Amino acid sequence: MKHWILLCAALFLAACATSVERVAPDSTIDLSGAWNDTDSRLVAEEMIQDALSRPWIGEFAGRTGKRPVVIVGTVRNLSHEHINVKTFVADMERALINSGRVDFVASRDDRGEVRDERMDQDLNAREDTRNAAGQELGADFMMQGQINTIIDVEGKEQVRYYQVDLTLISMADNRKVWLGQKKIKKYVKNAKLRY
Amino acid sequence: MMLQSLALTLLCSAVLVLQGCSAWQVNQAAASLAVAGPQATLDRLQTLVPADRDLAQYRLNTGVLKLYLGDWQGSRQDLNEAKSILQFAQAVSVTENLAALTANETLRTYNGTPTDQVLVHVMLALGYLLEGDLDGARVEMLQANVTMQQLAKEDSTAGQLASARFMAGLIYELNGERDDALISYRRCYSILRDRGEPIPQALQTSLLNLTRRQGFQQEYQQFSQQFGREAQLPAADEGEWFLVYLDGVVSSKTETRISVFDAEVDTMVSVVMPHYRNSTYLPRELTLAGEVQRQRSNILENLEVRAREDLEAERAKILAAATVRAVAKYKMVQEAQSKNDFSGILMNIATVVSEQADVRSWNMLPASIQVARITTSLQGPVQVLEKGQALPPLAEFSRRGRAVVLASSLTDQVYVWPALPEPPESGETHAAQ
Repeated sequence: MKHWILLCAALFLAACATSVERVAPDSTIDLSGAWNDTDSRLVAEEMIQDALSRPWIGEFAGRTGKRPVVIVGTVRNLSHEHINVKTFVADMERALINSGRVDFVASRDDRGEVRDERMDQDLNAREDTRNAAGQELGADFMMQGQINTIIDVEGKEQVRYYQVDLTLISMADNRKVWLGQKKIKKYVKNAKLRY
Repeated sequence: MMLQSLALTLLCSAVLVLQGCSAWQVNQAAASLAVAGPQATLDRLQTLVPADRDLAQYRLNTGVLKLYLGDWQGSRQDLNEAKSILQFAQAVSVTENLAALTANETLRTYNGTPTDQVLVHVMLALGYLLEGDLDGARVEMLQANVTMQQLAKEDSTAGQLASARFMAGLIYELNGERDDALISYRRCYSILRDRGEPIPQALQTSLLNLTRRQGFQQEYQQFSQQFGREAQLPAADEGEWFLVYLDGVVSSKTETRISVFDAEVDTMVSVVMPHYRNSTYLPRELTLAGEVQRQRSNILENLEVRAREDLEAERAKILAAATVRAVAKYKMVQEAQSKNDFSGILMNIATVVSEQADVRSWNMLPASIQVARITTSLQGPVQVLEKGQALPPLAEFSRRGRAVVLASSLTDQVYVWPALPEPPESGETHAAQ
């Protein structure tokens, strides 16, 4: 009898212990039903693939003879969740750069630091290694967007609908050359009972 | 012998429960908050180690204290932790229910009143806004809307907060989303009307201005007639100031012992119930004064009333559970006494000591949330009169021509969104960081 009690106690304590398991970064794990890394990555990749397969690239290259230069502007979070938009923007930047079909320039925040460094080079770097000011690549297109949600809730059940809208705008004339949209719908059932 | 052991176990558990229960200590700290101030109270709370089941209440209190002190990040961290626990604790716990039925209600994880569940979003939104994250504040108001939808009942306004609706309207308005702002202000108005509470002047202005701007002529005329005044749409060289004033400290719960007749044991049993004493809260207002217009803040949400309503709504359930528990304990004492006097005495002590009312609440909230709204010249300074604070003209720091002031009766500090250009040389006005 005592052995059984000890065994049960051991099992109970083991169940309470913290456990850590390493998983692949691209594996899908849904815990709460909220926007997560998988949503961010998949949406960014799919939308950029869509953007790169549309005619605006070919038209621009045909007209100017060069690859378009793109900058990612503001992606607003208008959803019901505190989404880290920076990771989503980083995913988009990665997908754009890795496509090799567009040139990509640093965002406004990043540029400030680069310019400070360039000014510092003017004062402190050897002349043959300095990078001159005024030689930056100007963007031809800016990508902007927003993440919206609609939540329908009844008791412990929720339907979460996410819609990500991205727009590519020509810097020369404000023309919208591409509109992308990705939707995700999740059905979440929260637990009614707990231990 | 068996009964004696059971009584001893129950007694030990009761003593442990009493030792571990931080609720009384939190209540004592809350009682002295108005005198000691938020910093000293926060320091006092930080010396406590709350039990896991009391953690949500503890974090709600530290979170709101940090909000009074302008520690936006600290406040956000604590309130978010509390919010997660409140959401998790909405699922019914089998073990906690068992413990509550045999010992007392404090063995349940604190899962907040309907008011707590909504107000946590309002306090978070204020923190996000004052930190300059308007989108973050917007997220909280959307979440508050979902929470209020979940709590909505046809025959009750429990969990429907006018303050949450007004804050949502304000945040939408600051974001330039006038349609959504008007919907939120209308809902705020409906809640106050259903409760028979007065409509604050700030809400009147919001409703008049937005129905006028959006071209809802008939609705505008109705509001104009009802409030006896016209819209105050700012001219091109004018802007708007909003004041959110957190006044006083909400009451804490106490215990009260009542006798209930139970037919099963054919006797009166004594049960301990949570209780609010009659409120002695005397609202104090704050005046926002421009060069031409001035307005005293009006109560938008009387949390003294909300707290009592929430408890009253739960009263029947708490009383039923307490009666079942009291009867079970009575039978145990009777049985023990019939076998052995000593066991009976021990069991009696154990049952009395273990019986405690759940007096936990978010008791460092203000007693009321008040609001004011004025139109001023973009070049004209504004004063928060009772605090003796002078604020610079909107033209100096607000690109949108709008500013939100957060003040509490517990500190002399006044926080402003958007961040002020630089703190004035004298006084204690603080720009939102």
